[in-house]
Amino acid sequence: MGDILGLVAKRLGLGLIILLVISLIIFFMVELLPGDIAQAVLGQGATPENLAALRKEMGLDQPAIIRYLDWLAGAVTLDFGNSIVTGTSVAETIGTRFANTLFLATYAAAIAVPISIVLGVIVALLRNSIFDRVANVATLTSISSPEFFLGYILILYLAVKTGMFPAIASLSADMTFGELLHRTFLPALTLVLVVTAHMMRMTRAAIINLLASPYIEMARLKGTPPWKVIVRHALPNAWAPIINVVALNLAYLITGVVLVEVVFVYPGIGQALVDAVSKRDFPVVQACCLIFAATFILLNLAADVGAILTNPRLRHPK
Amino acid sequence: MSVFVIIYYFLLLGASCLAAYFNKRSAFLLLFSLTLVSFILGIVGGVSALRMVAIAAGLMALAAMVSYAFREFLIAIASVNMAKELRTAPLTAAFGMFVIFTVAIAGIFAPWIAPFGEAEVITAAFAPADETMLLGADQLGRDIFSRLVFGARNTVALALAGTVLAFLLGALAGLLAATTGGWFDQLLARSSDVIMSIPSLIFALLMLSIFGGELANDTTSFWLLSGFAVVTGMLVVTAMAGKSLIGWLIGLAILVGVAVLFSGFMLAIFNPSEIILILVVAVIYSPRVFRLTRAVAGNVVVMDYIEAAKLRGEKTWYLIRREILPNSTAPLVAEFGLEFCFVFLLIAGLSFLGLGIQPPTADWGSMVRENATLVSFGEITPLIPAAAIALLTVAVNFVVDWMLYRSSGLKV
Amino acid sequence: MKKKNDQVLLDRLANAARTGDISRRSFMHFAAAAGLTATGATGLWTKSAAAQPSRGGTFRWGVHDGNTSDTHDPGTYVTRQMIFLAHTHRSYLTLIEPDNSLGPDLAASWEATPDAKSWTFELNPNASFHSGKPVTAQDVIDSLNHHRGDESTSAAKALLTDVTDITADGDHTVTIALSRGNADLPWLMTDYHFAICPSNGDGTIDWKSGDGSGPYKIDTGDFGIQWSLTRHDGWHGEGAYFDKVDMLVLNDPNARQTALVTGDVDCVSLIELKTLALLERNPNISVDNIPSGGAITMPMHCDTAPYDDVNVRNALKLAMNRDEIIEKIAFGAATKGNDFHLSPVQPYWPEDIPQREYDPDEAKSLLKKAGHEGLTVNLSVADSVYAGAVDMCVLYAEQAKAAGININVVREPNDGYYSDVWLKKPFSAVSWGARPTPDVMFTLAYKDDAAWNESRWQNERFNELLLQAKSELDQDLRAEMYREMCLLMRNDGGTLIPFFNNWVYARGKGVERADEVAASWGCDGARAASRWWFSA
Repeated sequence: MGDILGLVAKRLGLGLIILLVISLIIFFMVELLPGDIAQAVLGQGATPENLAALRKEMGLDQPAIIRYLDWLAGAVTLDFGNSIVTGTSVAETIGTRFANTLFLATYAAAIAVPISIVLGVIVALLRNSIFDRVANVATLTSISSPEFFLGYILILYLAVKTGMFPAIASLSADMTFGELLHRTFLPALTLVLVVTAHMMRMTRAAIINLLASPYIEMARLKGTPPWKVIVRHALPNAWAPIINVVALNLAYLITGVVLVEVVFVYPGIGQALVDAVSKRDFPVVQACCLIFAATFILLNLAADVGAILTNPRLRHPK
Repeated sequence: MSVFVIIYYFLLLGASCLAAYFNKRSAFLLLFSLTLVSFILGIVGGVSALRMVAIAAGLMALAAMVSYAFREFLIAIASVNMAKELRTAPLTAAFGMFVIFTVAIAGIFAPWIAPFGEAEVITAAFAPADETMLLGADQLGRDIFSRLVFGARNTVALALAGTVLAFLLGALAGLLAATTGGWFDQLLARSSDVIMSIPSLIFALLMLSIFGGELANDTTSFWLLSGFAVVTGMLVVTAMAGKSLIGWLIGLAILVGVAVLFSGFMLAIFNPSEIILILVVAVIYSPRVFRLTRAVAGNVVVMDYIEAAKLRGEKTWYLIRREILPNSTAPLVAEFGLEFCFVFLLIAGLSFLGLGIQPPTADWGSMVRENATLVSFGEITPLIPAAAIALLTVAVNFVVDWMLYRSSGLKV
Repeated sequence: MKKKNDQVLLDRLANAARTGDISRRSFMHFAAAAGLTATGATGLWTKSAAAQPSRGGTFRWGVHDGNTSDTHDPGTYVTRQMIFLAHTHRSYLTLIEPDNSLGPDLAASWEATPDAKSWTFELNPNASFHSGKPVTAQDVIDSLNHHRGDESTSAAKALLTDVTDITADGDHTVTIALSRGNADLPWLMTDYHFAICPSNGDGTIDWKSGDGSGPYKIDTGDFGIQWSLTRHDGWHGEGAYFDKVDMLVLNDPNARQTALVTGDVDCVSLIELKTLALLERNPNISVDNIPSGGAITMPMHCDTAPYDDVNVRNALKLAMNRDEIIEKIAFGAATKGNDFHLSPVQPYWPEDIPQREYDPDEAKSLLKKAGHEGLTVNLSVADSVYAGAVDMCVLYAEQAKAAGININVVREPNDGYYSDVWLKKPFSAVSWGARPTPDVMFTLAYKDDAAWNESRWQNERFNELLLQAKSELDQDLRAEMYREMCLLMRNDGGTLIPFFNNWVYARGKGVERADEVAASWGCDGARAASRWWFSA
């Protein structure tokens, strides 16, 4: 177990360095965006005088590097500063949004992960049958359609025509949990359709990959039924790639859902980030990107630890 | 009981019996279960449901026939070795190749195939299909068929160029990192971690906002392209020249020449804002390719024959080219197919946020977006380009599946 | 006998008002002629023109263009969502009535000195903020000063440059002194930036808390997501029939449309023009297609060849088929332009100026006269100007071919269009929001020394009239001056105006409105929440 803890500590340290580098990159990218925050705020009503006044008020008259260091000094103590445009603290601005995003991601993952692994095992068992082909084409079609378009189709059939689910996933504080699940079902379903195919195909591939191994051959020769060969012998060794692709898709559920948020008017963090980019509101952009990056790093770490735990051989690399 | 229904069941039952007689088990099962399902469907949905099934089955049969004929055609024109390989292709793969071939033809000869210009307004908005317009008109009265054909050219060329560049950079870096190892490997791995940790859509959004405005001109895109080419080329030079200074100098000289040629070539094909898009895609996707290549090549590098080659004193470049690459093509090709789809969708998603290919250039993603709101009214206009996207990506993956299957040596 | 005649006239008027044949303003005018007092006429109008509004219900309002980075600072209001919200929870000194005339809001009445250099506003003594504090002269002064002075970051600063001093006389009288006469000052006070906020007592205003004196007070809300408001019981105005207002930010056009169709909202503030015809077929939905004062213009630099020749300018104006452009680009949701920057819904619009039509032959002969046959020009445009702006220019280029004019459409990047292309390239396409009065618009973009004189047009008579009209308090004289200015713009000016774009919004089942709606903003001058009601 100790070596795992060592690995985790090492990877966390590395993760911090990566976050630092990302914060630098994001800072300079926001700096490089054409126009500045004062122009974005004033829009067509900008005149040289009010621009200058606004820049001064926002502290934009200071050199870029000073502003970055200022921000960094705060960030080290976990104070991500205030939004330049609204003046409210970043944590307050995006806190609820992030919770909403996490909720939607959990909801979608709770449906998608079991379905895709079970389906993956089934199609591996029935490989090259009609069922396999149909599942293959269906999942390929669902990853091949733009997700906003999937959303529109679901809205058409499940909201406009049949009225089973609401088309708008706006939230309010006094909803019961059941209402919440009902209201956010369509965005969750869209996400499920987007991520299931990838995970299912990987499960299938990982299992089929192992089918040529001698020990599988052995099990088969012993007369073990095919489902048992797969579930008992192939699957345990296929966990590592499966966990990896699940982690990748979980990260996507958190970081890549801007379009779904727009289509279903879901108050998640992606929309906040796009808005902040359009206003050049650096602290908010920075905080969102760091949250995303940290999610990605942590999930990757979890996948690696999971892979090691499911495969004792990986604990003692040669 | 209409004539249609009688013919329908007659054909289905006849075909099932034939299949059973000739011991085609799976065909029989398929046909007979379809017959049973049709009974229920016929009762619930009436003749129209059966008609839908018949049309779908007809389409499937048509697709199968086209695929079969296309495979035979390819076998007929291919060399002996190729023909042998092609014979192993399942119908799905043949279908995939047929779709890719069609799209390629449509893209290359777009100006001759399309009856109207890309941005030409020829009639009233949403005019229905007639003999001059196969698929009707879009919201401005432009011919949808012509725009689909031109869209094949723009969208596929962009996505393909982006994916190819991402692969060149990612795969070269991955191979080199796996072969040399050490700090170079670590440096590349950590930089790829950094880029991968930023969500791709956000990264693209930022980069396109920076370079999309005034900077989208010939000069900027020329320098960016050359920069990209030099970085990629440096990997090759590093691998080829090793420690020899002369080798480095010669390599660099050739590299600069190649980079300029490459940039000029790209500029001749694409306009500056498209080049920016391609480069952004390449930068975003190369870390993924890098990771995969490095992992795959890492497994190969530890093999005994590589050890032997190293002991023989072979150079890094030789190892990469002759030993490692041939043994890691299969997963790379599969990855190429998937990444191509993702790039395609990323570009469509960017168009959705208003940052992708700029109008009035036809591309499938923005054609979906422009008319997407019509879906709520049951109009099929936006479904046509969406179907085109889905068809092409499915086709690519069919071919990829076949290649994977072939190279994995799995005959289960 | 006289009495009977009047009765007949009144009946006929009431009937016309009910069927919507006459506007409120003309109704009042004729009714006055028929010997009715103003109050009597108003009563007759409400009775005949509209069913009695009923109170109650929650108005769920789907609004476009909201952003997480919005703030309550009235100086930096920029998104439509904040403009809608501002008109719902805050008040202004004056407002634009549903018939597009000027009406009282916080100011019950106002008057000017004869030179229009000093304006006195009497505040409504009943007005109060949501916190319960009455609205006083000090709040008004500080709110207006928020947009003045070197420190001000307001986008509306330019509108108040002529103001020299704002003073209070008691708690309910505010006097605004100007450096030069301006008969339009009460109209300026309707600008969405000039919302009145509570004063902090030290010369600044408290805009952060979201307190206001409007018809609804904010309960909870999130910028760029949604707002819940309840009726402000002490509101000084008439209306506010809904008990609650839920404002939902719906930026995606498809989301707005489906929310309306499925009944998740009662009104959406913008619908996509290409679905206009399809949505109108839905019996549960009423689409409001309301002419506005916002215009698409195409300025030509009058000091640059070939546009320095008035014949060339007029040939280019004649070479556009506006009907086809309105049909194809605006899907019919636009009002035909006549090359002067004043729309039929704005004050002082001259009715009798003939419409300029598509006439390629006339254009050809004008070009011949100017010696510019086979003219070739570049027209700059960007996608962000207007949905379909590039297509519009492409279509115009096709139409102009019939006049032997060759127009190259140059698509410029969106970012920086207004800093690098507009005012710099000699022929471009621009979009303008509505300004309350012709004086503001003309001073902003047509006066000889205006910073935004986009066509670089120098017309002595025009500039002279503009200055005269600015401080002229006699309405008829003023209207005559604006008519002459419009004629000058149309026949000599350098700006081609294809159309004024309409407000297009839609209401779900049961949402009622008066027959007339204000054209200053979408959704009844952004005041849907306080002016509409649910049918009982």
